[in-house]
This record gives sequence, C-alpha cells and structure tokens, in this order.
Amino acid sequence: MIKRTFAALAVLAAIGFSVVGCGDGGSSKTSDNSGGGGTANGKDLEVISFSGGYGIDFFEKAAKEYEAKHPGTHITVSGSPRSWEQLRPRFANGTPPGLTWPGWGMDYWALIYDNQVLPFDDALATPAADGKTVWKDTFEPSMLKLGQYNGKQYEMPYHYNVLGWWYDPGVFKKHGWTVPKTFDELLALSAKIKAAGIAPITYQGKYPAYMIQGFLFPWAGSIGGIEALDDAQSLKPGAWKSPAFLKAAQMIKQLNDAGFFEDGANGIDHTESQMEFLQGKAAMIPCGTWLFSEMSKTMPPGAGMAFMLPPVADGGKGDPGMIQIGIEPWIIPTKGSNHDLAIDFYKYMTSLEKAKQFVEEKGTLMAVKGSDTAKLPEHLKEPARLFRESKAVYAIEYDQWYAKFGDEVKNAMTSLLNGSKTPEEFVQTCEDEAEKIRQDKSKPIHVMTR
Amino acid sequence: MRNRGRTAFIITYLAPAVLIYAVFVIWPVLQAFGFSMFKWSGLSQNKKFVGFDNFKQLFHDKIFWVSLLHNAWIFLFGGSIILLVGLGIAHAMQGEGKFTKALRSVYLFPNIMSLVVVAVLWQFIYNPRMGLLNSFIELFGKQKQRFDMLGTPGTALPGVIITFIWYAAGFYIMLFAAGIRQIPEEVVEASKLDGAQGFVRFKKITLPLLWSVGRISLVYLVINTLNVFALVFLMTTGGPDRKTEVMLTYLYEQAFVNSDYGAATALAVANFVIVMAVSGLILRITRKNPVGEVR
Repeated sequence: MIKRTFAALAVLAAIGFSVVGCGDGGSSKTSDNSGGGGTANGKDLEVISFSGGYGIDFFEKAAKEYEAKHPGTHITVSGSPRSWEQLRPRFANGTPPGLTWPGWGMDYWALIYDNQVLPFDDALATPAADGKTVWKDTFEPSMLKLGQYNGKQYEMPYHYNVLGWWYDPGVFKKHGWTVPKTFDELLALSAKIKAAGIAPITYQGKYPAYMIQGFLFPWAGSIGGIEALDDAQSLKPGAWKSPAFLKAAQMIKQLNDAGFFEDGANGIDHTESQMEFLQGKAAMIPCGTWLFSEMSKTMPPGAGMAFMLPPVADGGKGDPGMIQIGIEPWIIPTKGSNHDLAIDFYKYMTSLEKAKQFVEEKGTLMAVKGSDTAKLPEHLKEPARLFRESKAVYAIEYDQWYAKFGDEVKNAMTSLLNGSKTPEEFVQTCEDEAEKIRQDKSKPIHVMTR
Repeated sequence: MRNRGRTAFIITYLAPAVLIYAVFVIWPVLQAFGFSMFKWSGLSQNKKFVGFDNFKQLFHDKIFWVSLLHNAWIFLFGGSIILLVGLGIAHAMQGEGKFTKALRSVYLFPNIMSLVVVAVLWQFIYNPRMGLLNSFIELFGKQKQRFDMLGTPGTALPGVIITFIWYAAGFYIMLFAAGIRQIPEEVVEASKLDGAQGFVRFKKITLPLLWSVGRISLVYLVINTLNVFALVFLMTTGGPDRKTEVMLTYLYEQAFVNSDYGAATALAVANFVIVMAVSGLILRITRKNPVGEVR
C-alpha cells in the first residue's frame, strides 16, 4: 500500500518535471523566433534604459517625436534604476529589447564575448540623422574607441563624464585660497585648510573606485605619462608595480598620514561624502561631472561647486592637461528585434539637435561633436574646456574588462587607505592579481593602443 | 478495493502540494546542480559543459575559504551569544514583574523589522561621521580619530555580528520561552519540594527539558548564519577588503559582477552541502541529552 502510494507520488513528480520542461522548451522556442534581428513587426521597438539621475523622460519624448516623424512605428521606452537586473534574464532567455542603455551594473564585455551585442560598424558608415555626414564622423573619436573590441564597434557612446576634483569657489574665495595645480601646492594648501578647521579632502570611502579614479590613476599618469596607465590597463607584466603606480600610492599615503583626508571618510558613501563637501566640512572631493545632477536636490543654499584637475605630481612626465573620461554606452542586442529601427532611432537620439537638447536639459556633456556649443550649465564649462584642449584623454576600462581584477584593486585601495597595506604591498597585490588574469585563458586580454 | 480508494484519496490530497514542491523547490535545486557543471555567463544561452571544473576552481579559491571562515565566526560567536542571551532572557521573562512584561512586548521587535531597515539603522549607528557610536565614545573624551566600525578591518566583522545578534535574538528568545512554558508545572513544583533552587534547578530541570528546543535552535542558527546575505551585503558588501565576505555575498559577486554563473552555482551547491552536513552533524552530536531524559 505504502509502496503504491509512493509510486503514484513519483509519477506525479515526474509529470511535474515534464511540465516544467515543457515551459523551458517553450521559452527557448520563443527566443529563437525573436532572435537574430527577427522581423515580427518591423515597426515596433522596445527600449530599456537605465533610469538614474537623468531619468528616462528625454528618451520617451524622443520616441514620441520619432513616431510622429515615422508614422506606423511604435517605440516603447521603459527604465529602472537597476535596469541590468531587469535585462539579465531577458538576455539569458534570448529575448532582450531592441535597444538598451543597460546601466553601470551590466557586464557589457561578458555580453560582447558571448556574441550578444550587434556591432555598429556597418551602420556607422551610413549617413547620420542629418542625411549628410557619415554617422561615425559625428562622434568624438576618443569616445567611440572606448566601445571597440577586435576592430569592431560594440558599444556606442551617448553622454560622457569628465572625472576630476571639485571645490567650492565661494569657500576658496572667502579664505583666499587658490586652486592647487601641483602636489606640492596641494600639500601647502591642505595645511592651511586644516588649520582653518576644514578637512582638505574627503572621498566616497565605501566605494574605492572613486579613489582609484580620483587619486591613483591621475597621479600614476602624471608621473609615468599616459603610457604607464595604458600599460597597466593592458596588464603588461610589472606595470601595476611600476615606479609610477608606487609613487602614486605613496602620495595617497602621504596625504593620509598628514591627516589631510577627512576623518572617517573610509566609512561613508558617495552621497554622504558629497554632502560633507557641499556643507563645507571638506574643501575638495574627487568625482565625475555627474556630481551636480546627483546632489542638486539636496544642495545646501549658498553651496557651490567648480571642477579642477587633480593636482599633478611635481616633475612627472605626464601631460598636465591629461584628462579622464567615462562613457555610458548604449548597445543593440543581437537577439533584439528590428535592428534597423533600433539603429535609426539611435541615430535620431544622437543627432546634433537632440544632443544639444540633452546637454541643456540634463546638464551633462555629450559624445556628439559640436554638442558643447549648447548652453552649458556653469559647472560643465570648465570640464568641457579641459576636454576640448586636452591632448591626453583616457578612461579607466580594466575594471569593466576584468571585473574580478577590478574588485581586487578596489579592495587593495581600501586597505591602502585604512593603513592595513603599505604602498609597496598595495602595488604588489595589484600586480599579483593582474598576473592571475594573465594566466586565466578563459577571457581575452585587451591591449590599449593610441 | 477499500485500500485502492484510500490510495486515490491520499494522492488527490497530496498531489497539488507535491506538484508545487516539485516545480518550485526540487526542480530549481536540480537545475542549480546542473548549472554548476557549466561555464556560463548567465547572460546568454551559450553554456559549455566543464564537468567538475567549477568545483575544482572553488576548492582552490582562497576567497571561498575566507568567506566560509567568516560564516563560521558568525555562527560560533553570534550563535553562542544568541543561545546564551536567548536562554537567559527567555528564563527571565517567566516572571510577572513590570520589567518582564515590558521585555515581553519588545523582544521580538528587531526580528519583525525588515532586514533592510535593520542594516540601514545599524549603518547609521556605526557611521563614523554622524553615528551614535562615535557620539557615545566622545562622551568619554575627544578621540584623535573617529572610530570606523565597518571600515576598519579588525572590527567590521564584529560590527556585523553584533547587528546579527540584535536582529536574530528575538526569534530564539521566543523559541526558548515557548519551550520553558511547555515544562510541566508539577515537575517544577516537585523539584522545588526536593530543594532544587536557582541555578541547580535551571541546570537539572529547565535545561534538560529544553534540550530538543536547543537542538532545533542550533540547526536554525546553522542555516541562518551559513546563509547570511542581505545584512552583510547591505552593511559592507563584504568589505573592507573582503574582511566581512561570506559565502553568499561572494556567490552574488561571482554571478552578477563577474558573470560567472557556473562558479556561482557551484558555490551554491557547496553551500547547500555544507549546511546539510553541519546541520546533520549537530543533530547527531546532540542526539543524546547529556543529563538524561527527564520523564
């Protein structure tokens, strides 16, 4: 009797499994149909966008305008602050949207290695939205380069950020301080700032990426030139423990030992540290050009912010005008529907007219040439000028190419700042972790060229 | 004939539950076992069978062992304190005084709060710039440097453990309190007549009669501490420099940051095996009540 009951239950369980199995089969079939730029309806396009400080209203409006100009097309735009979480199962299922800005949490390169991203090269050779210029020529070449792999263009730049330091001109004026251009000037000024009861520099301690962007790379580049940074990002043996990186780490320690970093900065996050800066408790902070849009709603009255380049190392061989940028790429999933429509809509979004509108409405810089002739908000004028005039532009890319290595460098930076690693141990850790990536044959090594 | 009717009756009633359990529990578990044998980014349908490679890699992964060690610390330190505090407070709550009544109304409060709220609350307490902890320390004099509980390598894990104890203790107090209330009044009365007082009575009567509750509590603690995720993830994300990394935060990193779903599911399988093994071991070790059965 008991045996028979169990047998019956086993049969039921088996039916259960087969039902699930059917479900799986069904979904993969669907994905096959929609894959490969399927043409279920050549006039429908789904766009999923990261919805951060800039929201998605601009893209929704652009979609409406595009629909009005191209009757019969239907574009849906949706977004979320954690859009990558929404997108992961869609990619895994083979049913991604037609066009997407997946956001900072997406592993773009894993998608590219898995052939999930459509190269833009053919489209880039066609006319842009104005019908005259070749589409490729409408973008800043240094930004296009950031989305290339094996000679193909997988990621498309849209808006971009310039990374550096910020200070409050009002506070500096009040105390008669001048913006330091060199590390020696920084040390001298920091002593004065500290004496005035203000922390010279604060940072987003919980997220060590900010300190790598704001301290380590600018100083290593300033000492060893942009080649030192390219070598490190290309994982050349010894590059992470080169004299340039060691000296940069020592400069960080020097500031730390002198008490020029805000007390407790290691334990606070980006909004907390940025608020400390805006409240005048700290005089300078490393951050990108998103700072204004991120903090504008909570900015105390009377607070101001202005961009400055990180002070350069004295006697370094790097270009003093060297500038760090970062793009927020858009992609077309290989298995998304209606590639042609996706490309055409993206052309519209990156037309000079729309690019200028984005700059003015959202207060950020765009990768489209000429878009900086739009009316720039005050906080963007200096970064835009510095970018225009710079002959040495770079972006931090290694942490996107090799996520795990990126994590280990961040962890090591935390240890350098809390004193549990010396500068020598810090660079050695980075080099050891780089060696692990060099030994790992499962992922390609990117080599930077100029 | 009668038996057949009974079988049909049983099957009819069990079928929906078995089906739901099979679809939503057994099948995902089996799938996880399957995925652990593949190299898979979790971002496409491209999977490559690699056999036990993910497990070999896991076995040689230093971060995995460090994470496991942190889980073990949370279990040993957090677990012991929770058991002691749980038992002590449950015992103290048996009286009828005002304090006891007040305690009874609040002890479960942290446990019914969302874990996210708990994590945010304690982050504020520990915050080196505006936290209560630093304000408290400053009562004893101005410090040279603010104390950064979660940002300092040596204190980050204890910081998380303290929060875990604060959050979880209520549940175990409830278990023990219920267990104590189940002890027959006549046994307690008899022990009193026999002259057993205070700690002797606690040791000879209360403790042995709570043995089964204690065993269950231990197994719960194993499951809760080896599967701790949200609290650590929200408070420290495993930092600083992996000083609070636990198995599941590392699993999250492998799956969603490093796009290595195969390695992540291998870790999930290892976690499953470890939880089962430790729970089984604890049940076996504690099988026999050392004081003997009290009848």
